[in-house]
Amino acid sequence: MNIWDTIIQQPMINILIVLSSYLFNSFGMAIIALTIIVNVLMLPLTLKQIQASKAMQELQPKIAELQKKYGKDRQRMAQEQMRLYKESGMSPMGCLLPMLIQMPIWIALFRSIMLSLAVAPEALLNMSRYLYSWPVVYSMLPLDSNFLWLNLAEGNIILAILVGGTMWLQQKMVTPAAADPRAQAQSRMMLWMMPLMFAFLALSFPSGLALFWVTSSVVRIVIQYYVTGWGGLTKMVSRREPVRDKRFKRRIALEGAPPESATSGADIVVEPSTEPEAGYTQEEGLDRETFEDKGPDRGVDYPTRLRDIRHRSKRREHRPKRR
Amino acid sequence: MRLRHNKGLLTKISLMLVILLVSALTLSGCIEGLQPIGWSGMALADGTLFVGSKEGRLVAIDTADSSRQWSEPLKAPRSAGGFGCAAPAGGGGCAGGPAGVAIYGTPAVAEELVYIGGYNGKIYAFNSSSLEVRWVYPREDYLEPIIGGPVVALNKIYFGSSNGTVYALDTATGDREWEFQTGDKIWSTPAVSGDTLFVSSFDKKLYALDAADGSKWWEFETEGAIASTPLVYDNTVYIGSFDRYLYAVDTANGSLRWKFIGDNWFWARPVAYNGVVYAGCLDGKVYALNAKNGSKVVEFDLGSPVASSPLLVGQSVIVATEDGRIYSLDTSNNKIKKLATIDAAISAPLSASDGIVYIHTADLTVHRIDVETGAQLMTISLKKPG
Repeated sequence: MNIWDTIIQQPMINILIVLSSYLFNSFGMAIIALTIIVNVLMLPLTLKQIQASKAMQELQPKIAELQKKYGKDRQRMAQEQMRLYKESGMSPMGCLLPMLIQMPIWIALFRSIMLSLAVAPEALLNMSRYLYSWPVVYSMLPLDSNFLWLNLAEGNIILAILVGGTMWLQQKMVTPAAADPRAQAQSRMMLWMMPLMFAFLALSFPSGLALFWVTSSVVRIVIQYYVTGWGGLTKMVSRREPVRDKRFKRRIALEGAPPESATSGADIVVEPSTEPEAGYTQEEGLDRETFEDKGPDRGVDYPTRLRDIRHRSKRREHRPKRR
Repeated sequence: MRLRHNKGLLTKISLMLVILLVSALTLSGCIEGLQPIGWSGMALADGTLFVGSKEGRLVAIDTADSSRQWSEPLKAPRSAGGFGCAAPAGGGGCAGGPAGVAIYGTPAVAEELVYIGGYNGKIYAFNSSSLEVRWVYPREDYLEPIIGGPVVALNKIYFGSSNGTVYALDTATGDREWEFQTGDKIWSTPAVSGDTLFVSSFDKKLYALDAADGSKWWEFETEGAIASTPLVYDNTVYIGSFDRYLYAVDTANGSLRWKFIGDNWFWARPVAYNGVVYAGCLDGKVYALNAKNGSKVVEFDLGSPVASSPLLVGQSVIVATEDGRIYSLDTSNNKIKKLATIDAAISAPLSASDGIVYIHTADLTVHRIDVETGAQLMTISLKKPG
């Protein structure tokens, strides 16, 4: 057995079997329980991913502004965008990294369920390699694949529909109303492609796996709701443009069109700095005086910290509810 | 790093991750023993070996010249949908999986007929010379997958199905004589001794039935499901259970004589010779146990699970490990020596004829090993040309 099997796969399979024995000899219950347990254990990563994703969404209007402004000047656009990320204290890879870390765990859970189902004789024989020498583990096998009206070893259309439905709901909650039509089209594609693909897979694989996907999606919906509210599921309500956004737009407008020489990028130096105004010079057309009298916000530009974005996003979510 | 359209990029990366995940799921689901492939043993009659191939065909091999003859493939009740990883009743579907119905049991030969059961839930009687189907049971419908092999005795053919039922059919016509329902799946081959039929079930029980009418004489319960085939030797039934014990049960009344625990399942049927039971275990060991009291005579750690039933050839017990090593255990002095290593996993029961051991592996190949010298003879392909 390799390291992967010893560290992740084997414990997961044995836990699944033990859970079955404690949950009324029901493998279906064990799948649900283990999925919830794994989700809870990975909650910090999930939260990080959701928050980073939300923060990224918050920046979309500003990125759209930048695109409008520097769309033709790729280098300047990239520099401005990087500056936007730096100053808002986030990385564009921030929402992908937790996802990448979680992926092996999900694959291990998937494989554990498939192996434990032992649909084919080869699989049951293969299972023997993974078992701890606990009496409860040996006497439980093979696991009972009947759960409610389902045979967990066979595909089931109702569960496949549930997989697609819950995945769509979850996807809809996290899908932002992108300002950029191209990004909007891609988001829409993701919104439909993922649920359809997984629904098709759920029909092809044993329904034990579909049960895992449905449970996982429901848990993610609950987590997502507590962090960001209903998100994309709520009606898009036109909101008053925040003062900070107005200031950002004004700054962009004040900078004016980029000089022709700017296409080479030679005259622009971006200094990494925590001071919001530090990167601007008079040559870029920024009138510092314009912003100095705007109160404690100091905001000529972007949200300064990731947590600011989080707080603001929560306020936004709550505002329509009070109406 | 330059990120022109980060939202678009993130979406694309997410999309790629999803596709990667789906591919990984599909491949891991299809390749790693989750599809029924089959591990049919071989039956020998009149110089001909009969074996069920991964292509879902009965193959007859002339041991003299290695010429082969193929039957028509067994028919699957339905085709696999989607990626086909939900184990369709006939098997097949995944890349790398079988093209036909999986066959696990060793064929049984009686007079001019060869009997074989398929994962499609049907039992077939083929003409041994033409390999044409004489009869099939059930004629119209399909039972649950048949994993164990059939056994022929008293003009009847006996087999168990994954629906938990033991069937007795007329050997000539395939008409049902009787059936007996157990509490769970039956994956083992029944054993007949005198007028008693012994059959094990996933319901953790070993049953002794009247072979004539299927009435139950006794049952013996263990702590785990039973997938292994019973061995009857010297008025005792020896059988391994998923509780890791090898049990010795009195054939007359079903009382326990002794039990011996291994470190994993006794999956394969043991063999007995000269008052000693030789049992291969999935813990990678072969145990030689006193048939009377279960005391351990000797054990050999082979380092790889023994899933294939050992074979008695003369005074030697031939054992194969899952990783492809073949050993010969001399029963006269309890010494073991390695005969050969083949480049394939071994799960099917071994067969022998004229000092040659035949090993069927999942790559559609029959390997031949000389018992005396360990020399590997030319392999025989079970793949039907064209």
